[in-house]
Amino acid sequence: MRVVIAEDAALFREGLARLIADRGHQVVAAVGDADALLEAVAEHRPDVAVADIRMPPTHTDEGLRAAIELRREYPGTGVLVLSQYIETRYAARLLEGNAAGVGYLLKDRVADVAEFAEALTRVASGGTALDPEVVSQLVRASRRAEGIAALTPRERDVLSLMAEGRSNAGIAAALVVSAGVVEKHVASIFGKLGLATSEADNRRVLAVLRYLGP
Amino acid sequence: MSSTGPANPPAASASPGRRPGDALAALSRQAGLAPFTARTRRELRFCLVEAPFGFCILAAPLMLVAVLILVRLLVYGTRSSAGAVHPVAALPIFAGLLVILLLVAMVPRAGRRLGAVHRGLAARWLGVPVGEPAPPRPARGVFGRLAANLRDGPGWRAAAYLLVKLPVTVAEIYALAFAAFGLAGLTYPFWWPLFRNHPPATQLGPVSVLTPFGAFHITTFTGTFAAFAAGAAMVLVAPWVARGAAAADAWLMQGMLGPGRLAQRVADLEQSRALAVEDSAALLRRLERDLHDGAQIRLATLAMNLGMAREKLGSDADPELRELVDVAHQGAKDALVELRNLARGIHPPALDNGLADALATLAASSATPVELTTSVPERPAPAIETIAYFCAAELLANAAKHSRANKIEMALSGRGGNLELRVTDDGAGGADPAGGSGLSGLAQRVRTVDGRIEIASPTGGPTQITVTLPMHA
Repeated sequence: MRVVIAEDAALFREGLARLIADRGHQVVAAVGDADALLEAVAEHRPDVAVADIRMPPTHTDEGLRAAIELRREYPGTGVLVLSQYIETRYAARLLEGNAAGVGYLLKDRVADVAEFAEALTRVASGGTALDPEVVSQLVRASRRAEGIAALTPRERDVLSLMAEGRSNAGIAAALVVSAGVVEKHVASIFGKLGLATSEADNRRVLAVLRYLGP
Repeated sequence: MSSTGPANPPAASASPGRRPGDALAALSRQAGLAPFTARTRRELRFCLVEAPFGFCILAAPLMLVAVLILVRLLVYGTRSSAGAVHPVAALPIFAGLLVILLLVAMVPRAGRRLGAVHRGLAARWLGVPVGEPAPPRPARGVFGRLAANLRDGPGWRAAAYLLVKLPVTVAEIYALAFAAFGLAGLTYPFWWPLFRNHPPATQLGPVSVLTPFGAFHITTFTGTFAAFAAGAAMVLVAPWVARGAAAADAWLMQGMLGPGRLAQRVADLEQSRALAVEDSAALLRRLERDLHDGAQIRLATLAMNLGMAREKLGSDADPELRELVDVAHQGAKDALVELRNLARGIHPPALDNGLADALATLAASSATPVELTTSVPERPAPAIETIAYFCAAELLANAAKHSRANKIEMALSGRGGNLELRVTDDGAGGADPAGGSGLSGLAQRVRTVDGRIEIASPTGGPTQITVTLPMHA
């Protein structure tokens, strides 16, 4: 897997490059701002780009805007956005009707190396990786409180993991149950919430997010 | 005019370490040169223009007399033979009183106009800047404007200046008189031979020489030297009288035409407070950025490295070592969360994209559904945005915590140069600023920029809290 990294803090950028290389992937470029990110992606056509949101010159949302542009210009390239803060508005802007090959994670998640690497691979292969923080904020603020209340605690866990973008196998691994059990939970959730079942995980994410969203 | 002494370079008077004799010489040189400096010319010009205004005081008794005559005419003119005021005839009385009132109300406005002229003169010719007083309060309607005029303190003060400046006017007239009579006196020896060359036996009347203290008479050519001497003395004195009069006038203007000491102090304090508020907002923003680019990044990298170390240790490593690394890893992650919450409290990063975005983020993460409407044409100052954001956060948290509301409406609007944040919930009501619900802290925070907070929360609800902030601190 070929990866481009955009992160203005050199310390973190190098750590990230090392982590990714350590997992057997190839870091083709590691840059420090949004313009360089766009150039690097145009040049290397990586499988996935990892971008920090706050980058020079204004240190506000350069990375996010670059990520949105990348998603528009290079649909085949996954974009994983990292940030020290989670803003649900940013998540909404990033997804905007299409959850394929996109991720939005807190920088903290990098500390759990295996999970981060898994999320990166998922995004590179067209999947979704939403931070649990985004999902829990959405669940908390959701106007469908009654629908969510109808779920069992276990089903609520499964719903959150689905919203994060995990596959059934991923959910099974996270909850330490069998894939069959997860499938049953998923079917029950979709039944209770009145959602149409969807095969692709990223479509499933959108369905769940739309259900939760404002 | 050879009596005024040689024109020495003025630099001599500025040399350091001079003896008393030198100082005296310098002073006399200065005195001798004073009539010829540009400053003197400006001051005399100032006196010339200012002096007539002193006679404005004469307008006061005239006006009083006019008013009395008007009242007298109205009262006696409308009385019936029985001595009682006829109801129909009372109308002109009121009309007359109204005219008087209008005349009186015009005084402060006129005072302001004239005051502006005087300030201009002082700035232009004396180099004394007199600050502009606070503008008159905007008012609507005939009566509103009338009332505003009658209560216009700076306007009345400016009018009073014209009445009070009579003594200064006298000094200004003296300065002009010294200058004019002095110059006239200097000319006597020159024209005397031309006009007084009559045959020896001719009887001629004495010629008067004017001084501000009266006239004296001369009859002979020798006498013209006395006139010349008096003229020279007056020319030498005139600059100092003009200077004194101008200084007194400027002092009076500063006291009566300026913004007033209290108003000036208030303006200064407002300005310094705005600076302090903006400064602290900028400081907090910088602090948050430093945390973001410094400690948070280092900690995230540390957690990442510990995570990698943990992976590399594998399952066959020393259990004690594994546990140590696990604890360190978890500790770094916990510290990251704490640091993030701390930084978010210092300055919410969502504010970087404006208040509307930040409030949308707040609304999205509220446990109670929030309906948000924002319509702010221009971005307020950063400090105001921060205060509005923390108010919104606190009010949302309050509504969710205390009122058991099902729905919250939050509206942000720019109205009449102010920023208005209104949070309405359909909860139980009974919010009390004294109840330690965070509302008192909010009120304090809002007050630092002259904002207002209005709470309408009857028991049983609904609660509506309106925070009004200026656009700039």
